[in-house]
Amino acid sequence: MINIVLDAGTTWSKIIETDSSTKMQDFQNYLVKKENGLSYYVMPSSKLKNINFKFDKATGHMSLSMLKQKDDYENEVIALIKGFRSKYQDDGIILDMGSRDSKWAKYKDGNFKDLDWNNSCSSSTGATIEMLLKFYNISVESLNYTKEKYVITCGIFGLEKIMDDIANGEQPQSAVSKFVHGIAFNAWVFAKKPSKLYLSGGFCENKCFVDSLSNYCEVVPMGRFLLCEGLILK
Amino acid sequence: MKKKNIIGFWGYPHPELIDKYKKLYPDAEWIDFDIDYGFNKQNILPESYCAIIKNIINSAFYYKENLITILAPIGKDKCDSGWFCYELLKDMGFNVISSVFEEKTYKRDVKISTSLLPLRQKVELITRGIYEYQDISLEQCKAKFGFWGVPPNDLSILELFPPETHLYGWSRCVEAMSPADIELEMYIDKDVPTVFYSQSFCSKAQLAKYLADKYNGLYIDIDDTATNSTRAKIEAFLRLR
Repeated sequence: MINIVLDAGTTWSKIIETDSSTKMQDFQNYLVKKENGLSYYVMPSSKLKNINFKFDKATGHMSLSMLKQKDDYENEVIALIKGFRSKYQDDGIILDMGSRDSKWAKYKDGNFKDLDWNNSCSSSTGATIEMLLKFYNISVESLNYTKEKYVITCGIFGLEKIMDDIANGEQPQSAVSKFVHGIAFNAWVFAKKPSKLYLSGGFCENKCFVDSLSNYCEVVPMGRFLLCEGLILK
Repeated sequence: MKKKNIIGFWGYPHPELIDKYKKLYPDAEWIDFDIDYGFNKQNILPESYCAIIKNIINSAFYYKENLITILAPIGKDKCDSGWFCYELLKDMGFNVISSVFEEKTYKRDVKISTSLLPLRQKVELITRGIYEYQDISLEQCKAKFGFWGVPPNDLSILELFPPETHLYGWSRCVEAMSPADIELEMYIDKDVPTVFYSQSFCSKAQLAKYLADKYNGLYIDIDDTATNSTRAKIEAFLRLR
């Protein structure tokens, strides 16, 4: 019986618990929503060490120690696809933008067709944005889509452009928005320039990112619990 | 003075050269310098460079005092990096014998690549067969998956594949005694879901990417050792296809 599952990302961990479980009762401050007998939690992965129970199923690099047995671990792409297919039987590309990596899988004619996983150049994904927001003390809600974007081949070079522009008088919100637009463009290219993209991960909650990505293709945000939803399936 | 009892080689030296040195030094130990033995790294090549060529340099220096010679493929049977590596080692005082094995007259039946042996064993048996071939009977199988490419620096990735994985690309060419046979290197069974592997910074990436796109396979390149994500990517491909 699967009652509690974990997607342990590098920065954030996502948890879904059924009503049959009470394991998360001490962590209610991380509850973000309740729906159809399921409770959804988001907590910093650094807090996982405070959890002293084991999960029924898990995915993500940091989750192995949180499982009763190794066999309960699920490959991240498989979890992503299971979650996606539980909601859509259409052909399409599902892209998961994480804190330090991004991955996509494509379905065509009802069958798995292709996948890719950008696992080495991680500097231009979620963790970088979070660091920038903290560094410049700005909120994600203050970012707005800008037509202009930085051409970001490497996050470090991107940071250099932000700092240059701010030094020349540009507002941090505007410079970071251009950076986000650059990441959105890279994500679209990485997914092989589709006309429609199903989006998973924390970036679904970043309006500037979704608006920037929508500049290139139709975007269907699917939230940050898709991998967990793939795990909770009976 | 240390005993000189080692013949090092990379790639597939010409069979006549191998026979010659086997007769000259029947008790010599043959060591494949392409393999990562974890020896000390030499600061000779650029940091971003083919891990296999780095292995060759590291092995050459590790065994320097024990080397009889190094048999060094420099032709289309290896790569330009092998050619340059030969020149560097020669310049640094190593006893290096160049080899070109581009003819297609040495044909051997391919039966390890299509056998039911675990994939890693297939590769290890083929590479060992370069200097110590054993004509053994092997159970054949229908391919569920394919692995195309050279023997990877990180051989452990081969353990992700089921035994019913056929071997293609340069590894198969070596088994067939045709390491420069580009037609055989580009041959694949189009209905077999195949992982096309290239060592990072290797020019064979051009073939791997092209063939992966053409035959709807999975292209991967790995530098030193595979990351967890790369392993998961292969695992996902094998489970979903």
